[in-house]
Amino acid sequence: MSLNAQQWLQQIRQLPLPEKVRIMNVCGGHERSITQAGLRSALPDNIELIPGPGCPVCVCPEEDVYEAIQIALNEEVILVAFGDMLRVPVNVRKSEVRSLEQAKARGADIRPVASPTDVVRIARDNPDKDVVFFAAGFETTTAPVAAMLAEGVPDNLLLLLSGRLTWPAVAMLLASDEPGFDCLVAPGHVATVMGAKEWHFVVEQHQLPAAVAGFNNESLLAAFYSSLRQLLEDKPFLDNCYPELVTEEGNAQAKKHLYEVMQVTDANWRGIGTIPASGFGLTRKYTAHDARLKYPGYQDEARKRAGEMPPGCDCARVVLGKIYPTECKLYGAACTPRNPIGPCMVSDEGACRIWWSNVRKPAA
Amino acid sequence: MCLGIPMQIVEINGYTARCEAKGVERDISLFMLQDDAVEPGDYVMVHVGYAIQKISEQDARSSWELFDEILAAESALSNA
Repeated sequence: MSLNAQQWLQQIRQLPLPEKVRIMNVCGGHERSITQAGLRSALPDNIELIPGPGCPVCVCPEEDVYEAIQIALNEEVILVAFGDMLRVPVNVRKSEVRSLEQAKARGADIRPVASPTDVVRIARDNPDKDVVFFAAGFETTTAPVAAMLAEGVPDNLLLLLSGRLTWPAVAMLLASDEPGFDCLVAPGHVATVMGAKEWHFVVEQHQLPAAVAGFNNESLLAAFYSSLRQLLEDKPFLDNCYPELVTEEGNAQAKKHLYEVMQVTDANWRGIGTIPASGFGLTRKYTAHDARLKYPGYQDEARKRAGEMPPGCDCARVVLGKIYPTECKLYGAACTPRNPIGPCMVSDEGACRIWWSNVRKPAA
Repeated sequence: MCLGIPMQIVEINGYTARCEAKGVERDISLFMLQDDAVEPGDYVMVHVGYAIQKISEQDARSSWELFDEILAAESALSNA
């Protein structure tokens, strides 16, 4: 890891690459770094960098967003959520409330938060009201949410949980007929918390090259180089190109809290469908903090179906790495960060939003 | 959400640490680092207000540079 970005680029350029090789990342932070640094144009043309399922806001089920909106509108609660979630649209008629932001405009008490610690403070400051925390996120967010509960929260703090695990979506892609990538760059901070060992299956079960990467150019380029060499030598192994933070086991304390507070469940992914053992529910000890039990009746079973992105929106295929953002016909035309149609244009971790912030050009 | 920010610990009070990054101070939870010996002056990688791992000063500085670039790009976008 002592090489600088230029040296890594040179190393990569010297590799006898095949005509086309596709490297997938599954982390909005990676995609941001890649796009911001212009790594795509710096790398040889035969290397495709594909943004995969790396945006928790994008895959948060439409029915969960709908449920949050309905609870906020109909119950005397304070609903809190990470800021990204507020603008995610649901599929209802234009006359109806389509996002938490619109519910807030209609008078619902909805507040954006940056941390679970903010939620605890709001709950303490408002003991007479239930504070419903709509918590969507991957492991880097869900583990802190679990830590919050493990540390102890006021009785009026309830969780509307939409946590997801990252690796099962990759497992699902790899088990499909067309995974759409030849190498995987695994997410550095997910691995920091959960351990690099979660990603061995990529190599062991699918013989696909894999490397855990951090977020600077050096670490990302090292991971590209490593996975390309693995591919060329036909000797895949899980390389750790982020050893500053990532260990085989991850953060043991964080994982202990996570599995004390939550259990792994099958879960729906927006536009993708149910992925086995890819979500979280609260364990029995914490059911008193489950907003779905306290406020039942807002879960609309009819909404639970795959493919429920807005009409015309290609977010589902963007999330799965099947197309680039610019290949969606709404990208940059009907769908922009100011007027987003799909969740990928809303979230800071959505590929469309990231590309629009840096590239902007719709497909020619 | 997944963008980690390295911060330096200024002061520790129980599981809460006053941390600083680029002149901004925040209260950060150390609840996920209970097994680690952390003290003022140390650097931690922070996600949604929780320290997820200790890091070296050098790694913190390298991440801050990346963060500066992202913030610069974002402010350019919002001013556009």
